[in-house]
Amino acid sequence: MLNIHKIRKQNQSIIALGSHIPILQSMLDFDYLAGKSEPSVKAIIASGRKNMRFFWGDSDVLIPVYPTLVEVPAFIKKEITLFLNLTSGRRILSSTLDLLDSLPNLVGGALFAENVPEKHALEMYSKVKTGSSMVDGRFIVGPASVGLMIPGHLKLGAIAGTEADQLIDSHVFEPGNVAVFSSSGGMTGELIRLVTTAQKRISFSLSFGGDRFPVLTPVEAFLAAEKDPQTEHIVYFGELGGYDEYELVELIKKKKITKHIITYIGGTISEMFEKPPQFGHAKAMANRGEETAQAKTIALKEVGVQAAQSFTEFIEYVKKIKTIKTNIPHPDGYPLPEGGSIQKIQSRTHSLFMNSISQDKDGSVEIVGEEMLSMATKRSFGHIVGSMLLGRQLKSNHTAEFIELIMKLLVDHGPYVSGAINTMIAARAGKDLVSSLASGLLTIGPRFGGAINQAADHWIEGVTKNIDPNDYVESIAKQKKRISGIGHRKYRTDMPDPRVGVILEFTRMLKKSPHATFAKNIEKVTSAKKANLILNVDGAIAAVLLDLLTEKENISAEELHELIDIEFFNALFVLSRSVGFTAHYLDQRRKDEGLFRLSPKDVSFIPPHHT
Amino acid sequence: MARVKLTEYKAKQILFQQLGLSYDGAFASVESIPHLSSEKTYVVKVDQGIKGRMKKGLVKLHISASKLQNAIQELSKKGYSQFMIEPMVSYDPSDERYLSMERTREGIVVHYAKVGGIDIEEKKNEVKSVVCHQDDASINKISKELGVPSSFIQSLIEYFELNYISFLEINPLVALASTIHIIDLAVEVDSTAEFFTKSWDSADIGEDTVKTPEERAIQKLNNQSQAAFSFTLLNPEGLLWVLLSGGGASITIADEAYNMGFGKELANYGEYSGNPNDDETYEYTCSLIDSMMKSNRRRLMLIIGGGVANFTDIGKTFKGVIKALEKNKKRLQKKEIKIFVRRGGPNQKKGLFIMEKWLKENDMYGLVTGPELPLHEIMKIAITSSKKHA
Repeated sequence: MLNIHKIRKQNQSIIALGSHIPILQSMLDFDYLAGKSEPSVKAIIASGRKNMRFFWGDSDVLIPVYPTLVEVPAFIKKEITLFLNLTSGRRILSSTLDLLDSLPNLVGGALFAENVPEKHALEMYSKVKTGSSMVDGRFIVGPASVGLMIPGHLKLGAIAGTEADQLIDSHVFEPGNVAVFSSSGGMTGELIRLVTTAQKRISFSLSFGGDRFPVLTPVEAFLAAEKDPQTEHIVYFGELGGYDEYELVELIKKKKITKHIITYIGGTISEMFEKPPQFGHAKAMANRGEETAQAKTIALKEVGVQAAQSFTEFIEYVKKIKTIKTNIPHPDGYPLPEGGSIQKIQSRTHSLFMNSISQDKDGSVEIVGEEMLSMATKRSFGHIVGSMLLGRQLKSNHTAEFIELIMKLLVDHGPYVSGAINTMIAARAGKDLVSSLASGLLTIGPRFGGAINQAADHWIEGVTKNIDPNDYVESIAKQKKRISGIGHRKYRTDMPDPRVGVILEFTRMLKKSPHATFAKNIEKVTSAKKANLILNVDGAIAAVLLDLLTEKENISAEELHELIDIEFFNALFVLSRSVGFTAHYLDQRRKDEGLFRLSPKDVSFIPPHHT
Repeated sequence: MARVKLTEYKAKQILFQQLGLSYDGAFASVESIPHLSSEKTYVVKVDQGIKGRMKKGLVKLHISASKLQNAIQELSKKGYSQFMIEPMVSYDPSDERYLSMERTREGIVVHYAKVGGIDIEEKKNEVKSVVCHQDDASINKISKELGVPSSFIQSLIEYFELNYISFLEINPLVALASTIHIIDLAVEVDSTAEFFTKSWDSADIGEDTVKTPEERAIQKLNNQSQAAFSFTLLNPEGLLWVLLSGGGASITIADEAYNMGFGKELANYGEYSGNPNDDETYEYTCSLIDSMMKSNRRRLMLIIGGGVANFTDIGKTFKGVIKALEKNKKRLQKKEIKIFVRRGGPNQKKGLFIMEKWLKENDMYGLVTGPELPLHEIMKIAITSSKKHA
């Protein structure tokens, strides 16, 4: 049962299903103009990206996007109190039931889509009525609803408009004492405007949607208004069709609803027709005499409701509501929107890019929040590289030291490797520095230099899924693949790679090193099969770096996955090896031997296969 | 959309399958009349979701196979195109029963009576009602009263649920010791559920009225769009034509015509909503103008009205409307059309500005106003102006 006062007091944390940018932006504008410190929209379920950019006032803000509810982190799930379902009528039922089952502190939400089957709406109705999955005060408005609005507190949906100007014109930041309802979304906006133009202010407003079986019934909205201490008057636009108004009449007779009510029941025009057409909403069809607009108006009048016979009369009744002092400061201290904040919204434009790496501040450059010169003089190169690649300042010197060590270790791996060879060939063909370097860099990929990222992927999979090393090796073998980070051309168990030893030394500074442990356990399995299948430099770097990032930099498993995804580990190789390629370029240019060419003995000819 | 009528032929086909029986009815049109055994006689019915067919003379009884063509041609002269043929079943009127089911918030409500037939409305007192669930004791009660096995009622409820039915009526139901005859079956399904069921689709929906080409064009537009469009021609020679937006606002504006005593002058009713794009409002407006141009009258009033939209872009939707006005400019000017506009919502400044500019330049300006004018008054102003005009 909808409890407006409870919603006023709660923290509004909204999850949106599907994205409808104008509606979501208007909700952020509402929050901003209401003086909130951050957007109430916390997450969006949609596909194709990680974040969606919105305006917060005139600056940009990113709202995280998740492909399904499963990917939403637990701390956000726990925080969510409300939802806005913007998916299509086909998906409303399954997606809403999913939400009800997986969000522990959910109070309620709104369904935007039209064309939701009656049966599905009724299924949600019985779930809300009888389910134990939601806390007290649970509700769902819709389907086909523009949502719920509580001035200064909450705008859940398109209600009251999607442009900042509309919100300001409708005075939805000043709480009042008039509740406004309609099944029609358009009429809800119209009535909000009508009431506020007459100098009255809204206590709350909602649209049930024009379907035959709205999940939140009109009568429930009236009961919520009755219970709400701020509401003194109820303004309602009803339509022909259905029996909701008779239920209301009964409640008034039983004195369960006592507040002042003004109504207009639309559809008198239907009297004109022997067989009336279907009016606007699914519900708006009078099959029986008592469903007509006139019959309902008379019944409401009889129990003392100001039931207007025409829209003109309706407006007169609204104007006669006693005007209370407006511009009341918000009960929770939210300021009314200032002229400045309104102007900011009206003149804003989206920036073309967003970045968190550096900015120009009064003529000097700041790198991840630190002034450049001070950074250059005080910090190690490892610290600067690590901080920039992570997009935030490193917390630990150990990480900085390790990254510096990697930078040095990866700088060159002899002149015979593919990247170095390509650089030298380009240099001898007379190409310039950047072209020759690019030729080497473009060689980096799955077979050359990309092993650190792939090894990181193995170790993190093994650790997060807690896979037995034997099983893991078996499963990779079955796929006829090799494990990156394992195997060396020269070194063997009896002649270990001295660099690997130095790298693994870093685990001593850590309390836990699950990735390094997993990597070493894999090595035990593989090296037992063949002596040269040992942990190599790439595998060791990946393992130790994962452990350092986890323990010393507080990076979560999800973020580690993202780092693999965006090729953070490969970046270290590219950066370091650029020094080596550049050195080979300069070396070739100094020697200047002329164009390189292979001889027939270097490229043997094999006749094409004939069948 | 909402509840729509399934053709009786389709409804029976699905029901018989559910009951595990073979259905020996056939679908027919003037062009295709099935060849049926000459040993039986038949009943021929108009099958377009029309209520009270018997009283309207849309059912023909005891037709022999050779007379089927005649019977169908006679019925088609009344303006109908879809028919069904079933073998004639003879029974004693005292065996007639009534059964209907309706989806409500409380559950499926079953109305049933020991009597049935075309005069059931007069026997209302004998109809009992009960909210029914599949494993309910009430099923036994219904089956006893009607003299049918409870498994039959159970199957009907399953049929109701599986096929997203909203309303079902069997009248009469003839329950004999040997067999149950479903003489007349009326079924309303929930059109929004088309995606969820394979048993029926929009082609199986009966059209109970004859539609004009413009009405049909707009229905097609509605079916193809994310947004919603409706249009019904009420009086082809009416003075007041409306191009309205929003379910509630459109009723309010239409009501005002009725309240002012001009209800009979309302030429059409309809509305668009759900933020259509400008191509769609262009098509909608073109169809409306086509319908308007068939009128024999001049100096017609066109009211383009709506409330303060929440998310429908006024600039974009009006761009399409103006494009359609521009295309039909000559015809509109010849008929001396005056246009009255009241609208609010996102991008309203731009929308109202381009509308006012166009109407003034083309001599069709009645009034263009935003939400400062109360919603219904645009109708009042148009009517008042027409009186001066006349």
